[in-house]
Amino acid sequence: MNNLISIFILMAIVNNIVLAKFLGLCPFFGVSKKLSNALSMGLAVTLVMLIASISTTVIYNYLLVPFQVEFMRIVLYILVIASLVQMVELAIKRTNVALYNSLGIYLPLITTNCAVLGVALINSTENYTILQSTVSALGGGVGFSLVLIIMSGIREKLELSEAPESMEGLPIAFITAAMLALAFLGFRGMI
Amino acid sequence: MENKIDNCENCDNCVGKQNFGKEFWKEFVKGIILCNPVFVLALGLCPTLAVTGTIDNALGMGAGVIFVLLGSNIIISLMRNIIPDLVRIPVFIVVIATFVTILSLLFEAYIPLLYESLGIYLSLVVVNCIILGRAEVFASKNGMFLSIADALGIGLGFTIALIMISLFREILGTGALSIFGFQLFNIPGLSSNPLGFFVSPPGAFLVIGVLLAVFRWIGVLDNE
Amino acid sequence: MANFKNTKVYPIIILTIVVLVSVTVLIFLNTLTSPVVEAQKRKEINNQLQNIYSGMTDSELEDEIYYILKEDETIGYAFIAKGNGYGGEITIMVGLDKNLEVKDVSIMSHSETPGLGSRVTEESFTDDFKGLKIENIALNKNGGEIDAISGATISSEAVVSAVREEMKKKIKSIK
Repeated sequence: MNNLISIFILMAIVNNIVLAKFLGLCPFFGVSKKLSNALSMGLAVTLVMLIASISTTVIYNYLLVPFQVEFMRIVLYILVIASLVQMVELAIKRTNVALYNSLGIYLPLITTNCAVLGVALINSTENYTILQSTVSALGGGVGFSLVLIIMSGIREKLELSEAPESMEGLPIAFITAAMLALAFLGFRGMI
Repeated sequence: MENKIDNCENCDNCVGKQNFGKEFWKEFVKGIILCNPVFVLALGLCPTLAVTGTIDNALGMGAGVIFVLLGSNIIISLMRNIIPDLVRIPVFIVVIATFVTILSLLFEAYIPLLYESLGIYLSLVVVNCIILGRAEVFASKNGMFLSIADALGIGLGFTIALIMISLFREILGTGALSIFGFQLFNIPGLSSNPLGFFVSPPGAFLVIGVLLAVFRWIGVLDNE
Repeated sequence: MANFKNTKVYPIIILTIVVLVSVTVLIFLNTLTSPVVEAQKRKEINNQLQNIYSGMTDSELEDEIYYILKEDETIGYAFIAKGNGYGGEITIMVGLDKNLEVKDVSIMSHSETPGLGSRVTEESFTDDFKGLKIENIALNKNGGEIDAISGATISSEAVVSAVREEMKKKIKSIK
């Protein structure tokens, strides 16, 4: 149990996947302009990350390791994630139209989101069990949503303030992210 | 998926139709400046920040991306007439993933130190949207010859961006510069009290943000 | 041919062929590179052991412990310890002499902050371990005999506790 809690905190805060591991930066800068979008994106990523981590860990532990073909993991994982995203999209579309309307456009983006593949790869590098992978994916998703929401809150205010012309847009977003990452650096060594 | 590709295509003047049939050189040069994947298109950001703590990692990642880009562009441009539209993206992904696996097997066997320090970011080249982006907007519409030029140009542009960022981070962060174990120079006052901030994650965000702003200020890049 | 391209099975066939070709190429390449990787790892470990035990002639691996031999006589025991530092996992090769005192330790891999935590690899730190018995392996402030690197207490503590914990386990199973 202790171990599971520390995996969760490690993934969500200490080694935050966006600010310390630099995963999922494209949506981090692309979708963080409005708070409501950030919430939906965070939810979509957490959902896919969870399903993807469980299935890739099953594949890794019960297929790749016994047959000693761990090197095939990149090809397999990316195919699994791509098809999962398609399935999740279809399932949401059929069952809950309101949810689909708010999450729908983000789902296709997730296939090329390195956070999902990154967490899957971290899980197999660390030889996590299925339960540990689930917790680590949950931590990763929470960590991603957390910084996305914080960032979008800051950027909504940033829009209203005046930055030097050449700083506007992406450069100031990067510098804001630097401040955030600095704050998260304070959690280092906690575990 | 479609959305992402559209995002990757937002540099119209580089892949616009008037360029078709123009010579190798033009396709090569555009990737370095006009259409620099990192500074202009803001693509492939994850590795750009993660591996630029040292110049060795930057060079290794740059070489890896050039290799995968070249391989996938060649194969996809050769297969462009037989790939059905419906499974276009899965085929691209499998081709790219194959080259990434080849890359990581070669790195693990022949340069294990670099393989260790790049860690999962070497495998993550597969989701670097520069590569899928080039497959979709260039290699699937052009012949092999131009696709090679495109891969080399974009790959080199990416590598140059990585090197620039890592130069700042390594020099400021450690007070010295060394390539693959050979120390090039050492700044006396700085190397005993290095600004460790720059090799840490927040330093990466700051360096790339300031670089982007400076490029816009001196007019290399357009303002948004 | 043109008709075949319009059938529903055509995309599936192409995708299957691409996947099959990819798998074949990778399996072939893996059989070529895996012996090289194995040899690299053995060589790396052997180098580490040679650095610690200068006169060694051979080593035998049993239950994750390397029994160091010098002309058929066991002169020491070595093992690998892993700890969680500031930036990630730190891998340490620990060499014990016949009396189960530390002969030397060396850091095999780490991802600590360059210039701070990375100083755990320096001799000024690793030399502190030399000749210590297990009960003395702790940082100064915790009553041990090892000086923490200033500004990198977490990295230092990670190495020290990894060595101590692994040594505790290994001493029990050394024959």
